[in-house]
This record gives sequence, C-alpha cells and structure tokens, in this order.
Amino acid sequence: MEQTNASVTRTPLDSVAVKRKSKSRSYRQSYRSCLGVASRLGLTPARRLTTNRKAPESHNITRQVNPEHLALLVKNEWQLAYVTPLHQFRHTQLRSYARHLSAFVVAEKQQGLAVEVSGLQNGFKASMTVVQGMSEADDDPETVLIQIHSKPLFSRPDDPQKLVWSGWLTCINGNPEYLHSLPKDFTCLPLFVYKGAENLSSLVKSWVQRTFDCCFGPLELSQTSLQWLAALWTNCHAESNIQHLRMLWTLPSAPPLQVTYAVDPHDVWELWGSVRKGSWGDGAGEARWIDLEEVASFMQSLKSHFYRHFKLDLSAGILNQVSTALGSARFNGRIKISNSAYVITTLTLLTECALLKMPI
Amino acid sequence: MAASLNSSESDRSSLGGQSASSRSNNRSLRVAEKERRRNEAEDPFVLALKYFSVVEAGTPVVGNDDFENNLVLVERTAYSQGLSPEAISIMLEFAMSLRMGTAPCARVLKCLIPASVVPQEAVVRAAVWLSVGKIPISTQVLFIKWVLTVFDMIDAKDQLRAIYGFIFSFVTEENLCPFICHLLYLLTQKESVRVYRVRKLLELQSKLGRQPFLLHLLSLYKVFCPELVTLSIPSRMRGAFRNHVSPWKAALTAVQKRNGSLAGSSVSPALAVRDKSGSRKRKHCHLQLPALTSVASDGARSEQTSSRTLVPLAHLQSFDQLLKNVHRIELPAQMGSLLGSSVALQYLDCIQDESALLRLNFWLGCALHEEFLFCGDGATQTSEALQFLSRLLSAQHFLQEGFSSSDAFLYKFLNVWDGSLLRPQILCLLSNIPVIPSSQIRKLLFEPLTQLFFTSSLFFKCGLVECLNNMLLKWLTWHSVYALEDDLDISLNSHTSLNITLSGFKDSVMELIHFVGHLASVGLQLEGCHALLLSFVLDFYETVCDTFLKFGLPLVVMPPAGVFYPAFFATDPVSVDRLAHIMHRYKVNLTSAKRQEKQKEAFHISRQTFQEFNHCVVFMVNCLWNSRMFYPGSDVQPGEELLLGSGVPRYWASFDFIHHPAFVSYALDFHQKCWPSRKEMDLSSIKDSKPWSWYLDYLFSQGFDGLKDFLKSNISRQAAAVDEQQR
Repeated sequence: MEQTNASVTRTPLDSVAVKRKSKSRSYRQSYRSCLGVASRLGLTPARRLTTNRKAPESHNITRQVNPEHLALLVKNEWQLAYVTPLHQFRHTQLRSYARHLSAFVVAEKQQGLAVEVSGLQNGFKASMTVVQGMSEADDDPETVLIQIHSKPLFSRPDDPQKLVWSGWLTCINGNPEYLHSLPKDFTCLPLFVYKGAENLSSLVKSWVQRTFDCCFGPLELSQTSLQWLAALWTNCHAESNIQHLRMLWTLPSAPPLQVTYAVDPHDVWELWGSVRKGSWGDGAGEARWIDLEEVASFMQSLKSHFYRHFKLDLSAGILNQVSTALGSARFNGRIKISNSAYVITTLTLLTECALLKMPI
Repeated sequence: MAASLNSSESDRSSLGGQSASSRSNNRSLRVAEKERRRNEAEDPFVLALKYFSVVEAGTPVVGNDDFENNLVLVERTAYSQGLSPEAISIMLEFAMSLRMGTAPCARVLKCLIPASVVPQEAVVRAAVWLSVGKIPISTQVLFIKWVLTVFDMIDAKDQLRAIYGFIFSFVTEENLCPFICHLLYLLTQKESVRVYRVRKLLELQSKLGRQPFLLHLLSLYKVFCPELVTLSIPSRMRGAFRNHVSPWKAALTAVQKRNGSLAGSSVSPALAVRDKSGSRKRKHCHLQLPALTSVASDGARSEQTSSRTLVPLAHLQSFDQLLKNVHRIELPAQMGSLLGSSVALQYLDCIQDESALLRLNFWLGCALHEEFLFCGDGATQTSEALQFLSRLLSAQHFLQEGFSSSDAFLYKFLNVWDGSLLRPQILCLLSNIPVIPSSQIRKLLFEPLTQLFFTSSLFFKCGLVECLNNMLLKWLTWHSVYALEDDLDISLNSHTSLNITLSGFKDSVMELIHFVGHLASVGLQLEGCHALLLSFVLDFYETVCDTFLKFGLPLVVMPPAGVFYPAFFATDPVSVDRLAHIMHRYKVNLTSAKRQEKQKEAFHISRQTFQEFNHCVVFMVNCLWNSRMFYPGSDVQPGEELLLGSGVPRYWASFDFIHHPAFVSYALDFHQKCWPSRKEMDLSSIKDSKPWSWYLDYLFSQGFDGLKDFLKSNISRQAAAVDEQQR
C-alpha cells in the first residue's frame, strides 16, 4: 500500500528507463497498460475544482500584453473549449504552422483541389503568433493566438483582408503537478477560446487535431464555476464598478420559468462583505483569499432573499448566466471579459475547468 | 536510395528462389540446355523471334509475307501460353524502335502477354524510345497502359524508379497524363516527392481542373510529404485510377490460369481515402477513428532524411511490408488511427515510446469521456458507439490487455452507468482492467459494482459475475506469466509503475474473490438460487479452486456458505456435480500445496482454510453417502422436536444420493431398470451393498464426472466397505 503511494510521487519516466534494458516482452506489456501519468491519475480520486482561490487583483496586464491583442480579447464574446496536450508543438515554428493551416483551410474549402503548402493562398490567410506576457506562472506555456484573414470574393485587389476568425490557446496558472507529469514533447495549452464562423472553427480544430495529435471538446461552465465568477467579479466592485450583478435562472416548472435576477451593485457589495470571513477590511496583502464556503453562502443569501420576496426557491433551478460590467458567462461555455484588468483571474478559473476535463 | 536497393535485392532473392532447384546440379543442366538450344534452333517460334530481332530498319510491312507469318506465330504463342521474358524484350524493342514503321507497333504491343515476368530492362528501354522515336500518341498511351497492366509482373522496379524524373516529364503531355500519373503513383517513393514536381502537378491542376488522376498522385505525395502539399478528396471522387484494359487483363488471366500461376496483379492501387461512414451531420464526432496520415515536419525534416529514410505507416499495406520496414517506421500524425488498421495494430504491439502511447490514450480517453460522460443531451448514437467499442475491444483482445485511459474512463463511468447501455461491451472492457491495488479496489470497483449488481436484473447479475470471472482469469494469467519468468520468488514490483508486490497482488486477488463471494451469496438469495446465476457463480469458483495448480498463485480461498449450500441443495444434478468437481479440485490443490509446504515452505495455508474445506467435505459425504444429514458440529442443527414436527419421514436421509432432489429421478429410473418386475417402489433397497455400487456406476455413466472424482478422492474403498458393514 505504501509502495503504491510512493509511486505516485515518483517520476515514471526514470524508473522505466532503467528497467527497459533488463526486461523482456512481459515488461513491455505491463508498461503499456500501466502507463505512468495515466495510471496515477486514473487511480487517484477525481480531481476537483479548487476550494479557495486568490481574490482577483487588478493586473496591469496592459503593460505586458500587446494592446491590440488585448483589445481583441476584451471586446468579443468567446466560445470555450478544452484541448488535450499538444504533441510536438513548438512555439518557434508558428510561421510554418500558419502556412500549413492556410493551405489546409483553402484545400478543405475547395474540395478536390490540391494546394501547395508553401504557396501564397489568396483565399484565406492564417497567422499564428505568441501573445507575449499572457502567462502567469513560470510553468505556463505561452499563449498562442490564431487568426484567419480572408478577402471577400468580390473585392478589389487593394482591399485589406478582413479578420474572419480568431482563437487562443492558453494556459494560465495551470496545475503545476499536472503540467510536470507530462513528457517533454507535450505542450499543455488546455483552454481554447475562439470566435468566428462555425465551419472555420471546426476546420481549425481538425487541423490542430491532426497536426498535434490532440482532441477538442466543448467546455461548459458548471454551476460552481458560474458562482465563482459571480463572487470573483463582485469582489472587484471596490476597484472597478460592476454596475449590476445579473443572473439568469431556469426553473424546472411546466412551462419552464426564466428568472432574471439583477441586483444593485451596492447591495451586492454589502452582502458580499457580510459573508466574507475575517479577511474583510484589512485588504492589503496575504489575507486576500476567497473560500468556496464564502461563495456558497453568498449565493445562498441571494437565493433566500429572492425567496423572501417571490416565494420561489432558486436552488431548484439552474443558473444559466452571470453577468456584470466586468464580463458575462453562460452555462453553455460562452464568455465575455469586458475589463482587461481581471483577465488573468478569469482565465485562471477557466484553465482549471479545462484541466478538469482532461481524460487522463 | 536505400529503399530501392532493398527492394531490388528482395526481388532478386525471390527470383533466386525460383531457380534454386535448378542450380543444384548445374553441370548436367548445362548439357541439357545445349541440347534444348539445338532443338530450338529449328523451332519456328524461335526463328520468328530471331526475325524480329535482326530485321533491318526500313523493311516494308505491306506485302511482307515473312513478317506476317512470323507475327502471327508470335501472336498465337502469346495468346496460348504467353511470351517468355526474352521474347517480350525482343518484341518490345522491335515495336518501340519503329524499325518497320508505326504500323505494326500497336499490333505487337497488344500481344505482349507475359508468361512469367517482364524484364525491367525491356520496359526501361522502351520508355526511352518514347522520347526518341516518333511514336503516335495513341500508341504511346497503349504502351503505358501495357506497363500498368503488367506492372506487378515486372521483375524489379529499381531502374524504373531511377528514371522517375524522366517518366515524370511526360505528365505535360495531355493525352498521356492520366496514365503517366498512374504509373508514377505506382513508382513513387518518399525520395521522389520534390517541391518542383508538386508545383508542376499543381500547375497542371490549374490547367486541367480537378482531375482524379492528379489528385490521387498528389494525395500520395501528401502521404510522403505533408509539408509540401495538402488536399482533401471529396467522397464522390473515391474511385482510384480507372485505367483497366479489360482485353489485356482477360488474356493475361487466361494465360496465367493455363500456366497454373496466378500472380496477383493489382493494377488499381488501394487508395486510403478517408472513409466517411458517419457522413450525416453529427454535432460530436468523437467516435470517428482518425485517418492514418503522416506527420508534417518542416524543421526536423532535413536532418531526418539525411540520417535515415522513414517509412510512413500509412504507406504500408501488408504485414510483409511492415516486417521489412519495421526498423524505420514513422508514427502517424494521429496515434488513434492505429486502431483502425490491422497492420498498424501489429506495429502498436511493438511501440515502446511513452509519448506515443500517451497520445493514443489521450485520444481514446477523450473520445470515451466525450461520448459517454460529458454528453449532456444523452444523444449517444448507439450504433456508432457499438462499432467504436467493438473496435476498441478487438484491439484490446489483440494486444491482450487494456488501455489505461479506458480503465480510467471505466472507473468514472461505472458510477453513472445504468447497467444496460451497451452492457456486453462495457462488461468486456471491464474484464480487461489490470490488477488494482487492494487499497483502492473497493472505491474504484466494488462500490459502484455493488450498487449496480443489487439494482439490476438477473441477467445483469449473471453478466457481471462472468465478467469478474474473466477479470480474475486475466489477472491470474498475467501472474502466471510473470511467475514463470521470474522464478516465483521475487516481487513483481520491477515491472510496473504500480509497484505491486506478490503479496500485494495476492491481496487484490483475495479481495476480488471475497467480493464475488459476497455478491454471489446475496445474489443467490435474492434470485431464489436461480440455476442460471448459480451456474455463473460455479464458473467463477472453478477458476478460484485451481489458482495454485493452474496459475501458480499460492492462494486458496473457499467459497462462502452462501454459495456452498445453495449449490449443494440445488435441484439440478449439474450444479451438484460441478460443486463436487470444485471440491475435488480444492482437495487436489490443497494436498499439493501441503506437500510443497513441507518441502520448501513455499507458502503457508492457514488452518482456517483447511477447517473450512474439511467442513464442506464432511458435510457433503455425510449427506450424500452416509445419509446423516445432521451430525454434531455441522452448520445445520435444528432441534429434534422441530424435525419430528415437520413430518418428513427419515429426514436424515433426505439428501443422500437416492433422495437428493437432484438425483431422485435417477434413483427412480435405476430402480425400474434394476427391478422391472417389482410393483412397489422401494428406493431404500438401493442402499444394499450390491445395488448401491451398481447405482453409483449408473450415476457415473450419466456423465457425473465431478461426483466420480469427488467420491474417488474422498471415500476410500475400505472406508466404504466399513460403512456398509455398519449399515
């Protein structure tokens, strides 16, 4: 029993390399079925969302990140997805990846017409760039921005190309234990944020899938994640006005009942202050952690307030959407971040959600 | 280059194989050869060939009887038995050199039906003539078509590959292009794919439009060098090159059939176009296996090509090719595609690269999770899921083990499974789970399974017990393989990252056996000792009772009372017989373990196990043989008054061989056969010593081998004799 536990902390790569020399066929078989990372994660209890996280601090991210990129990120609503680790992905090869992607998109758009990879595509032009400064922890691989420009069919030759699709692959404050457990030739950028035409999205996904042997899946936001977002955004009110906290609930009655629940920012702020434990007031420094219990009691108070007035228990329903002036998030994985100051906090939460979706 | 050398070598060796027998007595053969030559000198066919090889350029065709006669002769031979390699060389040279003008050229080409092989040199020479002479374009097409038809019979391809560039130059010829593309398709190797060739073909594409022949050649280029060209083939353009020349093929097969050698000539190459079976729009298509495609590697390419040429797995189509190239195979872009092809699966068995296996597991895990766990709308397409799981299972079956991502998936899925969705497949996957440390086995496996077991139908219960039996069998087999290799004395921890020691393994196995014992006891009670469930439970204990002798695992676990008594009191004789067989095997295992224990202290069997075993055996013997159902020390000891009050006559003998509900019909049958004249039925009379042994023989003759073994090992003849005297 102890030995099994010990194996959890051991790096399987090393132990495996030593043994390979001495063992024959039987060893190899067990090697495949008891793969290092997989077996450890398979046998450990299910991973859960962290129960406490740092209160959002307004990052002066504008100084690190290209304002153009930031503007793109802030002004749009994005669709969320998760990606399994990318194999043989090199940040230094982005140019050539972009060429491949362009050719791929063009070839898929024109079924049955071969396309030279290194040639200039006149229909679509993909670009891939590193977003400098969009990473938080040292282990985080740098964020990659993918954009596709296209020229409308009947345009003049000197017309500029239009941005038709954009997406990000990112990892902010990814669980270091997980990131370290992967072999070196994997790059973990678990969060994929994109917007644009549906068919282009699926083309980009299938190209990334084929090139880096990874898989995509939709990333929905669970009830807990939405509640976390509500609390985290509310917590920012002192620094930047949230204007309102609006929540959309669906109650399972017949016919289903939609409830829009908007709360005045000052009231929310006061309520949030009342559920905050200990650390309230002394604002500075080390005590700025938010606990899941605080979030839960915050939501509970909001619900009981609603019940007092309308005799409707929202606990029976589903939280569909949360929005403030800082951003909005929907159950189906659509998110808008309106204030660049809190991008990192939000993306940290989303990265965590994406990592929870990893199959192994 | 290495590739072409290899292939030519192998070709030569295969040729050598054909003539190996003739080489043995070389000398006498040479004499015979001379003799044959002398005879052939008068052969008109040889003379005809000679005519064509020496005929001078410019000889008129019209009105030339010599020519006509000789050609008819050659044609006749060609269509009846095919032409020898030399004849092919001569005729091809004659035709393509246009020595007698263009007129006979097509006619000669049409009759070039090889008897065995086509010499490569002849084809190369003829190809050279293409650019020299003024052969009409239709004849050129005919020639290329001929090459395509006999392509598989060309004895080697290295020189043809060497003039790849030369052949390539003909693609610009519009009429030749489709056929040249096909020929190039057959000749292309990784080295022949070059940027300028790709550009040339793309240029042609822009001129000719979407031509299938260009696309298929380019798609092959993509297999070798995805970094140069990309394309997607629409599903309607599935058919490969359509250059069949049926009269030739027919003539060829006719000749081959007559010669008794049917060399497979696959003119149309199998093209790996992605099979879009699930073409109807699906929101999620995680269950589609990715296509086998090769990696596009720009940066690393130059160094790789210089060190060694890698063969993309997508290009291999047979096991032979795999074997030839196994040292330099390039993994596909998506590891998941390996599950789709049987050749690739063979290769998967030798992959040791952790990253590669991790890629496969990421893909597999993601597909399973997305399809069965994350799908919110529950719109699982059962037929596709079924297909996917069957493919996964057949892969696991081939590799004889599971994939870790499917295990991890199952641990989660068991908690939400309703026990009926794709039951056979899920249970089969479950049985492939490798040994779980005993500290975790309860949480991962037993807790969800217990819930499922007690809330599901009888058939699920049977299925689950069968599945756990298979799991146990696989674990034990796994152990026995290690035990053989490692001499039984060392722990298993050097093999896996799981670090399971022998004692840890034993603990896990014991947990599993106890768990099934528990399920079986309660399950039998719940289902009223259903014979079907009982049969599956007995299957399981047939595995359990032989762990020591069959699998070398020093462990003996007895069945719990909840299994033993229902089996013994079963109303069908088969169950009782199987129980007897199981008890017999227990005895054999225990005695052999005991013997070994004395010799080298292999392992210690606890006193309790022996007690349990003895208890069961004594009970069985007392009931079946001694008609003493209730005896001091037995599990079943109701009060005397209660038994009397039940009104059952001779209750102590209710479960002997004669009155046991499972055997009473046999006793009746035996009674009738033994004393056909008796009117009154008196079963007790079988108890007399003579009829008793006859009766036993009668029972054994009905196929109750388990009982036979059980009695043989537990009741000695003397004891039986003493018994009888007492009675």
